[in-house]
Amino acid sequence: MTRKIRIAHLSCGSEYSGVQKEIQDAVEAVNAEIVFPEVDTEDIKDAVKEWGLEVASPDLQLMIARAKSIVDGSSPVDAVFISTCFRCAEAAITRSELRRYIHERAHLPVISYSFTERTTAGTLLTRMEALVTTALRRTLLAREKQTGLTAGIDSGSTTTKAVIMRDNEIIGVGWVETTEVLKSAESAYTTALTMAGVDKSEIQALGTTGYGRLLIGEAMKAELIQEELTVNSKGAVYLAEKQKGPATVIDIGGMDNKAIAVIDGIPGSFTMGGICAGASGRFLDMTARRLGVDISELGPLASKGDHNRVTMNSYCYVFGTQSLVNALSLGATKEDVASAACYSVAEQVYEQQLQELEIVAPVIMVGGTSLISGLVEAMQDLLRVSVIVPRYSQYIGAVGAALLASGFINEQQEKA
Amino acid sequence: MVKILVYPSNSLILADLVARFGHEPLTMMRVIRRKIKEVGIDSPPINVTPEDPKRGLKYAAVDVPSGVRGRMALLDPLIEEAEAAIIVHEADYSFGCMGCARTNELAKYVIRNKDIPRLELVYPTNDDEAREFVRKIRDFCKSLTSTAEVTA
Amino acid sequence: MVSDETTKMVVLAESSPILPSELALRAYELSTDAVVKETCYGLIVTGSEKSVDETIKELRKLDPSGIFVKDRGFPPGDSRRCRAVRGGGPRPGFHQLERESNILPNISYGLENIEEPSDVKGREKRKKLTIDRFIEIIEEQSKEDVNG
Repeated sequence: MTRKIRIAHLSCGSEYSGVQKEIQDAVEAVNAEIVFPEVDTEDIKDAVKEWGLEVASPDLQLMIARAKSIVDGSSPVDAVFISTCFRCAEAAITRSELRRYIHERAHLPVISYSFTERTTAGTLLTRMEALVTTALRRTLLAREKQTGLTAGIDSGSTTTKAVIMRDNEIIGVGWVETTEVLKSAESAYTTALTMAGVDKSEIQALGTTGYGRLLIGEAMKAELIQEELTVNSKGAVYLAEKQKGPATVIDIGGMDNKAIAVIDGIPGSFTMGGICAGASGRFLDMTARRLGVDISELGPLASKGDHNRVTMNSYCYVFGTQSLVNALSLGATKEDVASAACYSVAEQVYEQQLQELEIVAPVIMVGGTSLISGLVEAMQDLLRVSVIVPRYSQYIGAVGAALLASGFINEQQEKA
Repeated sequence: MVKILVYPSNSLILADLVARFGHEPLTMMRVIRRKIKEVGIDSPPINVTPEDPKRGLKYAAVDVPSGVRGRMALLDPLIEEAEAAIIVHEADYSFGCMGCARTNELAKYVIRNKDIPRLELVYPTNDDEAREFVRKIRDFCKSLTSTAEVTA
Repeated sequence: MVSDETTKMVVLAESSPILPSELALRAYELSTDAVVKETCYGLIVTGSEKSVDETIKELRKLDPSGIFVKDRGFPPGDSRRCRAVRGGGPRPGFHQLERESNILPNISYGLENIEEPSDVKGREKRKKLTIDRFIEIIEEQSKEDVNG
């Protein structure tokens, strides 16, 4: 049996928000254990002074002292989970700086999360899974080439994607809207197999990812069932041919957004957010419908417009849409409205998520929304770096899964 | 005997002195004891559930962090029962229930706005200050006894 | 478990001549229903409220100004607060207890000498310099710099 991964929990407020049990459950679900780094009372003040951030809350000071003990090597851990209350400014500053500090100095995978009393183990599970994978399965993630004949299925909240790969080439793809999880997966898979001209029985290994990964993975007896954070970062650097060195992967999805700082193809730190539909691909989908154009036309339309000519009063899915409708009634062009919608989504992701990461070039945008050129341009404008959108970027999760699944063929062959 | 809320509410020194001078200290430890004995709730370590931050809405709106509201919910029975209060400042090693600066600010404000006798002082750092500290607490406790007798 | 089961911590000031083992011994002699656990700082006493209070009343007599008592939320060894089970790190109240323990000798002294007149002037507050005096200092300093 593999040993349990030790996740250091640095926290302020989780016990008093009634979510400690949820955190505990999520950690146990990925076969890991929580540890609290030991610190001496006398060392707390010195640690805070040395670190240099003057926070008033003693529990945040304790977090700092614990982080220092991790960095100093006094507390052996495999990964770190930092959690503080949502809407606390003092805690948000401490959380984000500690994340950077631990990641840079201790080279450990770190995730941070701001919770409310509504946070559940389910919400935390994908993050914990990714944290454990990056800590534990570095060899699997180090794979740079796809070998043999493998398949990957990415079951997203909006669309399901499938990819067939042979000897490091993509030979078949399938893409359907997600309705019933299993049926959609089978449909996308069949399309990809037909395009590749291979039979399901020939597939040597299958990998699944996305929201429906467990259901599909179990039903189809997948060799690899993996959350989308690690799979997507792998897929992104693979497709963009940026497997060595640092990279930043941005994936604006239908239900949540991921921003991942990758080093040599392995996620170092990441943020996963998205309570708000106004910062999602769905907002753009809805805008396209309002404008009476296909989603594929929204990007080029936005490229021709100027977002500055439309006043967006809100980032909200409902009120933001209202602003767009008002602008149209006041004579704004479709191009300007499309541009404003793209800018609104990009700006929200930029303000709420990307601030927590160090954005290092190359920046790679993936997922279905990366095909909306106006959104990519808006992101480029905000980040002031050029953004790479690799070919097959919409199949990112499926490609990552097919690539990583090929690691299991070798394992089986070695066993045989 | 008067019920005296002590703050920090987990203070050994305050709980001891108040009891020593004949009154009942209202402390966090008693709240926690009740909490962890609640039957049918399994939310370790201290059985605070998402319901507690909701109860904390009594003191602060939903835009105040859940950790503040959860802690306020724990303090609520102490604040409600308090007939007098002793607040000690410079309690910079208070973690857990007392570990959030915003909660401590709000709790002290709420206590100060209650119409009850109150003593505020700082932690002593030497023998002379400690003598003064103990004397002030004794005198405060004495004054409460006489008031209690008069009202009775 | 007794329904009114209560737990109290008995903490010895560092200046007290009593040792935790002596406290424990005295508690055993009392043979109340309370269960006693010796710790580095003193004792943890658990049992019905009555038996705990009786035990503590007697224990205090050993050194009235050097023994301090407070309630404890958790009974001893409760897995929810146990260091081994929760993965290290002291429980939140530990640092507060440690800090207060450091000034218990002062508090003991205060209790023993409560009637002595004290000359505590209050902690000195730093006074702000008047702006006129500040200007004078700047001028004096710049003269010195020029001359120096």
